[in-house]
Amino acid sequence: MAVARAEVVDRSPRALILYPYDERLAATAIAGETARKRLIETTGGKIDLYSEFLDLSRFPEEAHIDRMARYLSEKYSDHAPDVVMALGDLATSFIVRHRNEIAPGAKIVFAGFGRDSAAKLNLPADVVGAFSEFQIARTFELARALQPDAKNLFIIGGSSAFDREWLDSARTDLAVPAKDFHVTYLENLAIDEVVERSSRIPEDSIVLYLTIFTDITGRNFLPKDAAKLIAAKASAPVYGPYDTYVGQGIVGGNTATFESMGYAIAGLALDAVAGKSIKDIVVPETFFADARQLKRWGISESALPAGTVLSFKEPNVWEEYWPQITGILALIAVQATVIAGLLIERRRRFAAEDESRLRLLELVHLNQSATAGALSASIAHELNQPLGAILSNTEAAEAILKSKTPDLNLVKQILVDIREDDQRAGDIIRRLRGLLKKRSEIEWQEFDLNDVVDSSMTILHAEAQKRGIVVKAESPTRRLPVRADRVHLQQVILNLASNAMDALADPATPDRKLTFQTSLTDDANVELSIADTGRGIPNDRLDTIFTPFYTTKSTGTGLGLSIARAIVETYGGKIWADNSAAGGAVFRFVLPLAKAA
Amino acid sequence: MSTMAAIVHIVDDDASFQKALRRLVETYGLCVSCYESGEDFLARLPKSRTGCILLDLEMPGLSGQELQERLVRTVPLLPIVFLTGRGTIAASVQAIKGGAQDFLEKPVSSITLRSAIDHALSENDRRRIVNQENEALQARVAKLTRTQVQVFDLIVRGARNREVALALNKNERTIKAHRQNIMANLGVASVAEMVSIAEKMGRIGKDAK
Repeated sequence: MAVARAEVVDRSPRALILYPYDERLAATAIAGETARKRLIETTGGKIDLYSEFLDLSRFPEEAHIDRMARYLSEKYSDHAPDVVMALGDLATSFIVRHRNEIAPGAKIVFAGFGRDSAAKLNLPADVVGAFSEFQIARTFELARALQPDAKNLFIIGGSSAFDREWLDSARTDLAVPAKDFHVTYLENLAIDEVVERSSRIPEDSIVLYLTIFTDITGRNFLPKDAAKLIAAKASAPVYGPYDTYVGQGIVGGNTATFESMGYAIAGLALDAVAGKSIKDIVVPETFFADARQLKRWGISESALPAGTVLSFKEPNVWEEYWPQITGILALIAVQATVIAGLLIERRRRFAAEDESRLRLLELVHLNQSATAGALSASIAHELNQPLGAILSNTEAAEAILKSKTPDLNLVKQILVDIREDDQRAGDIIRRLRGLLKKRSEIEWQEFDLNDVVDSSMTILHAEAQKRGIVVKAESPTRRLPVRADRVHLQQVILNLASNAMDALADPATPDRKLTFQTSLTDDANVELSIADTGRGIPNDRLDTIFTPFYTTKSTGTGLGLSIARAIVETYGGKIWADNSAAGGAVFRFVLPLAKAA
Repeated sequence: MSTMAAIVHIVDDDASFQKALRRLVETYGLCVSCYESGEDFLARLPKSRTGCILLDLEMPGLSGQELQERLVRTVPLLPIVFLTGRGTIAASVQAIKGGAQDFLEKPVSSITLRSAIDHALSENDRRRIVNQENEALQARVAKLTRTQVQVFDLIVRGARNREVALALNKNERTIKAHRQNIMANLGVASVAEMVSIAEKMGRIGKDAK
């Protein structure tokens, strides 16, 4: 049923690639792979490809061949190929012999050998090939071009049937071209002997390595592996007729490359399945060489025939390392992008930080203005003390001077006092101005925390007095240097003190006291506490009071404490609230002690 | 008028202002005594009844107003002139209602201050005279017997002899005799004069006890 249907519909053509040896052999592998690629690309994948490895170098016996034939005929009984591509003469003669069992009615195309070999196979007329002439003479021609002074010719071959065939054709082909050379055949030897002999070849020699599939001891090789062993030790340049030898230490040679072979046989197969008539073609040949070997033997590249495919040419830095260079450049580009990104991020962050700092400064200033507004009335009234004293002193002095016996010493004393009071008035105004001072930048200063407490107390003095609040300070005698903006820290203190004074506003408060205390908490930190004798803070609000817009006052902005916190944190400190055991709230902040410069 | 030199008492916690004020007031030829707080003044209450007090309204501890309440009782003859650096209407009204003589704002000019002190000293004179009269009357009232005081109190409230006799459960003639004795002791000739004395001594009127 399935078969019938397959026959009826316009099914994809089937192509069988027949490899003579096993899959390790680079030559057939390259040819087969190239063929497969061309077939798939050209048909757009509408082709069923099969591969079979006959493994005839390791199993040359008739029994194996029969076994393979039976096996393949069984295997393909339901999937008879439309075209069989045989790589090499062994595969070709195998399929020709068994075509009726394995691939009845299939077109057979081949590649990988020359007309001479084809003649020996006695191929039917409908079997068409892409001939490649492995002309050892052409390889020899390259060798002579590269070594014009060479006198000796060594020819290395193996012991398998294929190897012997090579040796035979070499003898024939080289008879004329090498007639001026002293020719030595290294054959019927074990691989070790071949290597050893090759290492003692005179310098002015050309070595032609054909193939060694098997040495005299029966040991099997891939020819390119044997080539590697020989070339590594050889004391003269070694040439070979296969491009698969390149990279194994072979200087060069002439060949129809296995790629072009594969390409050619695929072309034949395509025409065959398309129903076109096909005929024998010749696979184009090329000279090939290994630049590293040329260098090894001191042979100039300029001696190469035109069109030689030069492998392993010492690439310039770009050629040799382009993946790395591209990779590195890409990496650098990526890094640069990342760095640029980070820099932009950094700038944005700085800008954001700047802006937030500016915002904070603005807020602090607003808060300052509010505090100043609340306190300035008291402070302004305080001005009246020195001004009143000045006026009275002046008028007293005038009166004294008008008397008959003016007491000039007293007048002098009065003038001194006037000056002092003037100074006092100036101080008050300066304080008021300090309270209103706007900062566009933090002004870092190192100062004694006690000094700021003192100046804050002076500012608070009049207001506290008006409200009947006693303000006192308990400070250690030692300096407590901190690094911050003085105006900002004063603001924190005024905020905390204003809150405390508000807490004391309740008329029921019997003993209105505000106590500032500074201390050194440990080697690195100083603390200021501001304690009042009010009713304290409910425990569940101790944390929330520092959040913005939290307020219990009808007129409060709820920003005072959050600003205080922002300021203290700006200078690396911490602020918190507590209730004292004696009743009343205690606000504390710590700041890092400034290291003595 | 005064028998002793007037003393101006300055109560101010601001040493500098206090000193300047003392100098100025001394140029008026007045004696000056200075105190640095309300507590200080109460501790050293002046013996002299001649003079006035210049009182700072806002001081730590006892405020000017708290001090005023006490001084009205302890030294009622000394008029109080308030001085303040923070003159609010509320504060001034409260001060005047509390019996302050004047309410000045710092800085105060010499003319204003002098006139305020002059007025205060005149007031002091007046208070001392009233006080003297009162004391004389008090002395005379003190000579009356307990029954005569009862009769006096009823007469000045407009009671007739019969009504007094009824109220005190006495004979009308006895009351008549008391009345004549009372008028002789107090040195008055009419009931109207008796009423005037009773008023001055605070025995009648809304504050009568």
